[in-house]
Amino acid sequence: MARAATITIFVPGPLRAYCDGASDLLTSASSVRAALEELERHYPSLYRSICDETGTVRRHINLFVNTSHVRDREGLDTALVPGDELTILPAVSGG
Amino acid sequence: MPERVVLTIGTKKGLFVAESSKTRRGFALRGPFGSGVPVYATLIDGRGTPRLYASSCNPFFGMKVLRSTDLGKSFKETKSAPAFPEGDGRALVNIWSLEVGKNKKELWCGVEPAALFKSSDGGDSWEMVPGISNHEHARKWQPGNGGLCLHTFLRDGNRVHLGISTGGHYLSEDGGETFTASNKGVGAGFAPDPYPEFGQCVHKIVGHKDAPGRLYMQNHGGWANWDGPGGPRPDIGVLRSDDHGHSWRSIAKGLPSDFGFPIVVHPHDADTVYVLPLEPQTRTCPGSAPAVWRSEDGGESWNRLARGLPKKESFFTVLRDAMDIDELKSPALYFGTTTGQLWIGRDGGEQWNCLFESLPPIHCVKVAVV
Repeated sequence: MARAATITIFVPGPLRAYCDGASDLLTSASSVRAALEELERHYPSLYRSICDETGTVRRHINLFVNTSHVRDREGLDTALVPGDELTILPAVSGG
Repeated sequence: MPERVVLTIGTKKGLFVAESSKTRRGFALRGPFGSGVPVYATLIDGRGTPRLYASSCNPFFGMKVLRSTDLGKSFKETKSAPAFPEGDGRALVNIWSLEVGKNKKELWCGVEPAALFKSSDGGDSWEMVPGISNHEHARKWQPGNGGLCLHTFLRDGNRVHLGISTGGHYLSEDGGETFTASNKGVGAGFAPDPYPEFGQCVHKIVGHKDAPGRLYMQNHGGWANWDGPGGPRPDIGVLRSDDHGHSWRSIAKGLPSDFGFPIVVHPHDADTVYVLPLEPQTRTCPGSAPAVWRSEDGGESWNRLARGLPKKESFFTVLRDAMDIDELKSPALYFGTTTGQLWIGRDGGEQWNCLFESLPPIHCVKVAVV
């Protein structure tokens, strides 16, 4: 993921072991779906922790583009443009 | 190094390991391992250098398999966890059983939704076993309260017995290539037909190396008072087979309840079997006084073992994989509770003591002398 990259993917602490400890990754993907596909190619264990084997984002994972949850935009088809930040966040949990 | 008694304790908040000398006077506790997420299955693989395995059932990031090569002092994730193949349409929800296979480094793994996976490299890679995972019945199985899980894998030479809740008992006689529903005599209380071909809520199945063909089953009992279609179904909860699981008969007479989850057989006597009866409605011990019940004649009669256990006001559940027995000359039983106590029953369950009082809710307990 070292192409001319202008979009930042923020990786939560528990998942950084799956991407060589990186807290953020750079991409030039044009959509959230394309960004996840890029993660799948370069960091399969990271991708598998975000999406299950059907490609569905796990129930307790939230994806934000800047401050907007992707479900409030176009889901995985939400477009990414230079300067965007894609944040991967686990949901809050109970006891 | 002298032999050690090792316990793996899977809990709601991760994995614990307890270790003792063979005297079992005191156990040292380590953990939790595995990010504090639920652990539903563990395995102590004593073939060669001992390896410990645990499922780490992460509700956020998915399933992982943990492995230790230093007797539970540290754990690392294996290179991959079981996953349904592309296009299958199912996604892994939980890992319910981990068992050793025939060959060194061969592991088998039962999962939710009910399916079976096999590894030939100690858990680094996994392949789905189609004979049961794509069985013609597979899409007809229904989840129980615990989910649709393949929780029991029992190997006897070329025979493989599977317990599925709710699917029933499935038998392979070709090493796991093909499977047949084998539930003759296994009742179901939650279906109009009291003895369906499949769909029973089997809770656990055990066998014994010295008694080929003998199996014991804890099934989902508690239907003696059912007054709907099909009528009452008493004593369907505890069963025995003497023909490799082709047919089953009740051995529940004499128990205070035929409902329960675990069933354990004595390591040196195939006629001695243990259950932990629970009230079918509450899943807690009858009269709020927990007891393990032992039969020393293959299920013909039962005796209550409760010395040292609470006599009243005790309302825990012991889940299907939360009771085990070690293989020492005078074996000890161990069970963990949903209220976080780990109990040891010395002298085959004659005398009970609480080893740990305040662990997280316990899902599974395994013991081995290594």
